[in-house]
Amino acid sequence: MSLFTLGLARGLFGQVLGMVVGMLLTCGVRILLGWEAWAAEPAWTVGSVCSIIGFLLAVGALDDWLQWTKGVATPIHHGPPVDKPAWTRYFSVDYNHKVIGVQYTVWGILLLMVGGTVAMIFRTELARSGLQFLGLDLYNSFIGMHGMIMIFAILLGVGGMANYLVPLMIGAEDMAFPRLNALGFWFNVPGSVLLLVSIFIGGWDAGWTAYPPLSARGPIGYQLFFLGVFAIGLSSIVGSLNLLVTLLRMRPAGMSLFRMPIFCWAVFATSLIQLTATQLIGTSFLMVSVQRALGMGFFDPRGILGEVSPMVGGGDPVLFQHLFWFYSHPAVYIFVLPGLGIVSELLPVFSRKPLFGYKWIALSSMAIAIVGFIVWGHHMFVSGYNDILRIPFMYATLLVAIPTGVKFFSWLGTMWGGKIHFDTPMLFVLGAISVFLIGGLTGPILATVPTDLPLHDSYFVVGHFHATMFGGFVFPFFAALYYWFPKVTGRMYNETLGKIHFYIMTPAFWVQTLGQMGVGVMGMRRRIADYDPTLGQGQIENWQLAVTIAGFAIAFGVMLMLWNFFQNAEVGVAAGDNPWRSRSPEWQIPSPIPEHSFPAPLHVVGEPYDYGLADSGYVTTASPGDD
Amino acid sequence: MANNRRHFIIASVLIVISTVLVYWILDSVLLKPAAAVVEAGPIDEMFDQHIWLIAFLFALVAVFMCYALIVFRARGDEGDGEHIHGNGTLEIVWTVVPCFVVVYFAWYATTMLIDLTRPNPNEYVVVAEGRQWSWLFTYPESGAVTPELVLPVDTPVRVDLTSDDVLHNFWVPEFRVKQDTVPGKITNVRFTPNVIGEYVLRCAELCGTNHSGMLATVRVVSAEEFKLWQSEQLAQLQQ
Ligand code: HEM
Ligand SMILES: [Cu+2]
Ligand SMILES: [Cu+2]
Repeated sequence: MSLFTLGLARGLFGQVLGMVVGMLLTCGVRILLGWEAWAAEPAWTVGSVCSIIGFLLAVGALDDWLQWTKGVATPIHHGPPVDKPAWTRYFSVDYNHKVIGVQYTVWGILLLMVGGTVAMIFRTELARSGLQFLGLDLYNSFIGMHGMIMIFAILLGVGGMANYLVPLMIGAEDMAFPRLNALGFWFNVPGSVLLLVSIFIGGWDAGWTAYPPLSARGPIGYQLFFLGVFAIGLSSIVGSLNLLVTLLRMRPAGMSLFRMPIFCWAVFATSLIQLTATQLIGTSFLMVSVQRALGMGFFDPRGILGEVSPMVGGGDPVLFQHLFWFYSHPAVYIFVLPGLGIVSELLPVFSRKPLFGYKWIALSSMAIAIVGFIVWGHHMFVSGYNDILRIPFMYATLLVAIPTGVKFFSWLGTMWGGKIHFDTPMLFVLGAISVFLIGGLTGPILATVPTDLPLHDSYFVVGHFHATMFGGFVFPFFAALYYWFPKVTGRMYNETLGKIHFYIMTPAFWVQTLGQMGVGVMGMRRRIADYDPTLGQGQIENWQLAVTIAGFAIAFGVMLMLWNFFQNAEVGVAAGDNPWRSRSPEWQIPSPIPEHSFPAPLHVVGEPYDYGLADSGYVTTASPGDD
Repeated sequence: MANNRRHFIIASVLIVISTVLVYWILDSVLLKPAAAVVEAGPIDEMFDQHIWLIAFLFALVAVFMCYALIVFRARGDEGDGEHIHGNGTLEIVWTVVPCFVVVYFAWYATTMLIDLTRPNPNEYVVVAEGRQWSWLFTYPESGAVTPELVLPVDTPVRVDLTSDDVLHNFWVPEFRVKQDTVPGKITNVRFTPNVIGEYVLRCAELCGTNHSGMLATVRVVSAEEFKLWQSEQLAQLQQ
């Protein structure tokens, strides 16, 4: 078996080839125009576009559609590839949503590790004031790198959970568009490769937000960054479209919207945002890319580009921020709504009690998604936009706190009067609630303009959003990994190790986030390579050290988890079909799940969360008539 | 239900205690820099109210959660909990009550914001220009240009901000307020220094390589000293 039987290897080769072809193409055109053949910026830009296409062609994600253009029908092949070992399907284009879900998740975890490593490097630098081992430019590249890689990782994690779970939870055979689903995943690979490679050709030093004019003048790495994000954005768009259609069209008889497992509501709300907002970050980055490559001064107020092109000036840097945040604020709900859905999904199982206020929780997700569209200006309170705009954005932002509160109170209602079990997934759910609480509660102080003035662009904001992201994504994601691990592998992870992971990571995270907020209030700006050791009456260094140590503790916890999974995936104790005594459809079928998940179409015969109601079922594979 | 009432009474007591405890923790971790402008008064006051609210809400959720985890833990049995699907009244209460809190804070912030940005006919105007990676201050009345910002105490000041290259941000932590500088635009920020001393202006918008080192000295001096300084500047200009 040669390496190229793996789609991934073929794809990466195709990506390199695409890059070379794109560069040659650029040189060719320039020669024809009578210009100097080599110009780095256009060559890398065109090369990057071609490299994405090259990857997709070589991996085979476009094969079926290309066949169709020739009039050849290509029926979907079910099951592992016939002429290769079964495991190779995870490294190649495969249309089964369970395989794609695992691909998303694993790729997401890999990026989480890369992003985490980058963070640990600059966190070590920050443990003491003064510059120890990182240069200023490298530091600036690293913080942007960390931010964007983590965003990719989160989007992949969300994609993994949604793709794996949604069809199972609604008893569908697969996603509505399996080919599109595969394409959606494979976009991510060349996208993240571009992002990672960009650090070697100069990096990009304007943080994940990449505000021009800075991003319009920095190193070439920006072009790879922009195009990498563009690829991930395409993945988000096609993926969310697919999920929406699946949720709307493929539910079984009797499963009204309000009888779906609650996670499906979260995915529905998330997908709505992804489908409609992602275009804006694509547009904003594309515009900077074009400004750089062709000198079109969208965000260039007065001809900073100077000699490059006569078409300069007349642009506005603040416009970029509007476009960018129109996506990037709703994006934060893309990151957290599925995680909050996991919390709502797991709480009833481990509390042995119905989900308290199902409809309220479901609709609060929708409310957050919708209100989330009109609050982007809270990231721009000091950007220099019209002063009056701050007021409506302030009201709208504070409004988000209300549906968020509904979720918390409903979770408490779910636990109250239950019979609570403390298995590892539940511990992570509780950790998620405690951490998201910190994140959510520190939102309003940022939302009222007078208190945001000192806090904006300080480390306090860093503390705020790490708490929301950890509470809203990382903790629930880990809960989901522990919870569905037995379903995916058929084996049980080691419970003791899982608990140790939890008890290390949770207090460490509290210290980290509190420390970050603390140094921010003391006056430390975010995104600085070095800070003033006299801040906070000289206490700042102690806190910096504490945050760094906490960061390493979290990293250690994550490694424990991965080792735990690695150890037990093949040889762990057999888990049985339904170790958590859940009512959800995916637990009523064997673990690991067979190629065709359900032996027969599902029928919904009850409520999803009727724990405590004797002899009630949620779904059955027998039709209601024949029992 | 009687049992529930007992639970709620105990939880309420715990919430009160925890609120104070959380407030105390936050208050000792979130160390604000000294205040050196008039505006810091109301801003810090509002900050404090937020911290009380955070402490209370944190205590509310955390106490109920921990309480439930202890009282309603499964004691080795495999049974299920109570079969309750929710409570419409409760849901409405915890939707509507926060609305009032939200409107209170939004209104409070709106009026304060209007105060903070209200022009003052007597304000002293300085122009600050950010550039990678330093600051330059121009005093329109004298035409003096300096790398450090010198301001008279107890005088309302408006700093007009602009940039030569990329975005920067004018922030002196002791002055609380901050504002981006945008190339091609003039933005401004208002404050009234009321404590004589030396402070550091720190650029708070990522602006490239040496962003962390983009600092400038700000000196707030007495009225007489300011006059003296002004005449020195004038003398220098005339040479
Ligand atoms: C109660 C709800 C929330 C409110 C009122 C709120 C408010 C705010 C405000 C006003 C800012 C801007 C701060 C500044 O730059 O000065 C901010 C930043 C941020 N928030 Fe929230 N937030 C809330 C919840 C969330 C949630 C659920 C997330 C999800 C992950 C989140 C993620 C972020 C991120 C990522 C940033 C910083 C972005 C950046 O500048 O890099 N927030 N939040
Ligand atoms: Cu936001
Ligand atoms: Cu700066």
